[in-house]
Amino acid sequence: MAVSASDIRSALSLPSSSTPVPSAQPAPRKSQGQVTKKPEGISRELYALIGPSAPSLVAHLAKPRLKQKPNLSSGGKVKWEWRTFRNGARTDSLQLGHWAKATDDQNAEYPFTKYNVQSPSFAYSQDEYTQLLEDKDWTNEETDYLFSVVREYDTRWYVVHDRYEYLNGPARSLEELKDRYYSVCRKLIRNRPWAGDEASKAQLLNSYQFDKDRERMRKDYIASLEQRTPEEIAEEEALFIELKRLEQNERKFKKERDDLLRTLLGIDSGLPDIVAEEDGPSALSAEGFKKKKKNANEIDIPPTPSNIISLGPPPPKRAQSAKSVAYDAQHCIIRVEPPPSAITKVTHVPVHLRSFKLPAPKAAILPKVTQALTELGINHTRMVMPTRENCARLESLIEASTALIDTKKIVDRVEQDIRVLRVRLGRQSEGPGEDTKEGTPMEVEGGADGEGELKPEVDGRAQSIVSTRSGRGRKQSRRSISVSSIDTSASARVGKRQKRV
Amino acid sequence: MADRVRVRGVTIHRPIIYGNTATVLTPAERETSHYPDHTHRWTVAVRSATSAPDSDVVGGADDLAYFIKRVTFKLHDTYPNPTRNIDKPPFEVSETGWGEFEIQIRITFVAESGEKAITLYHHLKLHPWSVTFPLPNATSVPAEPEIPSPENAAKLGPVHSWQYDEIVFADPFQNFLALLTAHPPTPLPKTSLSKKPVPFHMSNPASLEASLKGGVPEFTSAMEKEEADRLEEAKGKIIKEQEKWRSILMEKEKELEKLQKLLAPKE
Repeated sequence: MAVSASDIRSALSLPSSSTPVPSAQPAPRKSQGQVTKKPEGISRELYALIGPSAPSLVAHLAKPRLKQKPNLSSGGKVKWEWRTFRNGARTDSLQLGHWAKATDDQNAEYPFTKYNVQSPSFAYSQDEYTQLLEDKDWTNEETDYLFSVVREYDTRWYVVHDRYEYLNGPARSLEELKDRYYSVCRKLIRNRPWAGDEASKAQLLNSYQFDKDRERMRKDYIASLEQRTPEEIAEEEALFIELKRLEQNERKFKKERDDLLRTLLGIDSGLPDIVAEEDGPSALSAEGFKKKKKNANEIDIPPTPSNIISLGPPPPKRAQSAKSVAYDAQHCIIRVEPPPSAITKVTHVPVHLRSFKLPAPKAAILPKVTQALTELGINHTRMVMPTRENCARLESLIEASTALIDTKKIVDRVEQDIRVLRVRLGRQSEGPGEDTKEGTPMEVEGGADGEGELKPEVDGRAQSIVSTRSGRGRKQSRRSISVSSIDTSASARVGKRQKRV
Repeated sequence: MADRVRVRGVTIHRPIIYGNTATVLTPAERETSHYPDHTHRWTVAVRSATSAPDSDVVGGADDLAYFIKRVTFKLHDTYPNPTRNIDKPPFEVSETGWGEFEIQIRITFVAESGEKAITLYHHLKLHPWSVTFPLPNATSVPAEPEIPSPENAAKLGPVHSWQYDEIVFADPFQNFLALLTAHPPTPLPKTSLSKKPVPFHMSNPASLEASLKGGVPEFTSAMEKEEADRLEEAKGKIIKEQEKWRSILMEKEKELEKLQKLLAPKE
């Protein structure tokens, strides 16, 4: 467009000369006049063209704005600072440092602490070992050694197998170690009283399933798979394709045969009605066959202990449908599997009140169990609502109490043995020997203390005192081994008696 | 004859309650009665466990006559005709008296069941409940419960003593099973809809307060759950103790082993 002198002057802010002044003045006025009507959202020229007509303006302004970019950078600066922290899972209070946002909570727990998951480890007592865990291939010491190694290396089996070095023992393969460990764990779970219901116990039990032979076979298979030569692989593939083709042919053949039979004989052909058949092996077989296949598939998947998703054993008989379950519940019917031995006729259990058959503890420990339960506020002779479930709960409660009392008895027995041995140790040494005053039965370091105090102080009188004391102590200890009170302060009482002497 | 085959592997039960209610006789009633020394009127009964809605008795929603032929209540010998046979519902006996004694209840079943009669015992409760058994840490035996005076007793309202139980039939005959399934029992409500008090039971002394709310008590499945919770809690405590003692045992075994090793070389 033509650039006038006035434009240049105004651009350069030059003082205008006298002649062009009148032209300069209308120019700014014109531009001013235009500036006051500054349109929004559209360019100035466009507005000049359209004019201030509302619809087109509105339509133009209503044009959707393009999506704005999301503000990713949190709008502003983030301050980071160097902080030292402690990992809650560590036992050694090591302090490390890391960069953390200044806005982060100062005292928040280190987020990776929760990943320090320990798997439940099992510890068994000697008594449990002799009762449940004896094995001809494994001595007690070797089993103990195995458990300690497993615990140290956190059940990581390859490491455990590598580090396992039991002197004078046979070479153990990985499967043998796992087999021994898991069978011990399973026996312990089964025989210890379990807090919680049967279903969770069965789940836990399942997680410790381990079949040594299957594992070995599986590993052999995998190894052999790896070692196939290319010709073998090609051969296998060819066989597989052929098998598929054969199956397809068979299916087609059967279908044609069925169709033919149906057309020939109609309703009397004895074939099942035409169902919407889906393509797949299930179309071939009747339902029973399908179920058998499914069951077989389930068994094939080897239940390994690492399999967290427990499959559970395939049901031997079909589970009840929901309707029959509801029916049974409504009529208070309980179905029990009739015992497989149909040879001996089961004598009929006569009608009875459920409270007649309340579980009762064995006569030998009955008073102790009663006392224990009374302390907990339970009366095992009369129940408020003796339903089947509550009676089952009472039974497991009594079982647990029985186990507890047995354990306490064994503790006392071991107690007594320890005391006897200590006495003998004391008598063997020349001097006063071990101090029966210290070393209360609860201390673990009792043995070590006894050893430390074997001072060869020869004091004839002291010796005789010791021998009489220990003699009497022994008699006393024998007398006091009656598990009369559940508090089992019997041991503490014995200690006091010895002190008085 | 096929009906007389036993259905193996099936156990069917029916929930019942048995017990008594007792109220103090008013002075006016006592004056006009034949036995002026009787202080209470009581009713002993065998009923179904679920209470009928808007009923003023405990339980009794279902009629038990379909499997119970007769209930015999044997009262104390000082009562005339102490053997009371009740051949049709309601299976209950009402009497007046002054003392608590044991009532023998014999339930005879219908012929189709092919079962013998069962006997249960119920201690007739006339005086209000109070918790008197020794607490675990008590040093002295608490005194016998005080029997309130007639005025106070009347204020406290009727006394209830009921026991829930289930009659269990194992391997029933075919026709008996059909008979039973023709009469499904009304299930216990989860909680008392009409806010009736909880029936008191000595095994659950904590229920004493709730039972004194006033009104006719009702059995609910909440009571069952409460007992289940108590049992589970006790079991949990015992198992914790058990684990503690097992670890003590293991420590002691280690100690014993150490001592044995010490002893061995010396001998």
